[in-house]
Amino acid sequence: MTSRTVFFNIIRFFFLVFFQALILNRINLGGYINPYFYIYFILLLPFDTPKWMLLIAAFILGWSVDIFTNTIGLNTAACVMMAFARPFVITAISSGPESLLGDTPSLKNQGLKWFLYYSIILIVIHHFTLFYLEIFRFSEFMTTFIRVLSSSAFTLLLVLISEYILYPRGK
Amino acid sequence: MRNLYVFFRKHYFYFLFLLLETISLILLFNYNEFQGSAIYSVSNTISGSVNKTFNGISEYFSLRKTNRVLIEEMARLHSRIPEAFYMTDANVFYKKDSIIHLEYKYISAKVISNTTNKRNNFLMIDKGSLQGIENHMGVIIGNKIVGQVVSVSPHFSYVMSLLNKDSRISGKFKKNDQLVNVEWNGGNYRLGQVKEIPKHIVMEKGDTIITSGNSNIFPEGLIIGTISGFNNALDENFNNGEILFSTDFNSLGYIEVVVDLMRKEKEELKASFKTQ
Repeated sequence: MTSRTVFFNIIRFFFLVFFQALILNRINLGGYINPYFYIYFILLLPFDTPKWMLLIAAFILGWSVDIFTNTIGLNTAACVMMAFARPFVITAISSGPESLLGDTPSLKNQGLKWFLYYSIILIVIHHFTLFYLEIFRFSEFMTTFIRVLSSSAFTLLLVLISEYILYPRGK
Repeated sequence: MRNLYVFFRKHYFYFLFLLLETISLILLFNYNEFQGSAIYSVSNTISGSVNKTFNGISEYFSLRKTNRVLIEEMARLHSRIPEAFYMTDANVFYKKDSIIHLEYKYISAKVISNTTNKRNNFLMIDKGSLQGIENHMGVIIGNKIVGQVVSVSPHFSYVMSLLNKDSRISGKFKKNDQLVNVEWNGGNYRLGQVKEIPKHIVMEKGDTIITSGNSNIFPEGLIIGTISGFNNALDENFNNGEILFSTDFNSLGYIEVVVDLMRKEKEELKASFKTQ
């Protein structure tokens, strides 16, 4: 990991936290969809990030977002859960060494199929933890489930859009 | 000893995960009970000032609406000042005796952050304990209700909106004073649930629900909403209804905090009865 990568990740961290806190938290579509796009930070951490760093970074990220939404611990728990799952997901969906090309996971290097699996699984893990911890009861199971799925779809859409904008395919 | 060290070193990822996850869960559950805790107060001040700056910008976009609300409010207040009344007996307004006491005082404040899209929604306002706000005070907008104060720092207060699973408002039918409870089950922020309506009450769409004044949080007679639907359950003792909130929770600009000047007296009376 070069110092340049570290620098870009720090910039991305602040940008995503403020983007989430000031704009996305105010978005509510149809009473069900709240995008949580800030987890894009965890998705984009380099492959060679030490595992402990992954957890600590997720903890700080969740905490920062929690400060703005006044839900101390909620996003933190969901982010740590997601960071924990990340290495296992990468191992599970990668077939050979060629699928770990490049420094960071991206649509361009790993291809659409790999990237879709990767982001869908992690986004759903995060949203599932987040929404069920927020409700903390099973009486509204189906409603919450719909919220998880619809919000995940929306977050995934934002992630894919950013991938296509930031890393256009072809040279 | 060495084996133990090797064991920890080999599985440190799991232990670190368990540690961090436990910390966040402890924070999550404690935060519901000790909202006035130190950590909370600090982060409250930080996020408060950031939100305040951003709000200063976004405020311009709703100036037109704010003006309209202010003019309406002014008209309502104008119609209440003594000059607006035809005085049949001057003594009514100038008599300084002990029969009339001021019971409620209102502190106006600005909403600096607000959500309607969570299952549990809160707002933050820019007045705090220095301006005399305390926990459990009611928050209203015009003659409609918003929620109640749950945490106070010196300059900001945190308000639990009616759109919260812990919110339970004691209301009544305007037409016949029958008591009901108003709650919110999530989903659409315009629609709430009316619980525990006795079977013999005949409901109609459009019936107004007002606050009962029983909870010492809101004065009596503030509008909560109107009945928009109901079901007549055959097997239970109570009917349930759906209520269309009069308050538009998504466009709260300036609100008022209700200070019940006689709350202490009411609580002392209650407490003295319990200890007997």
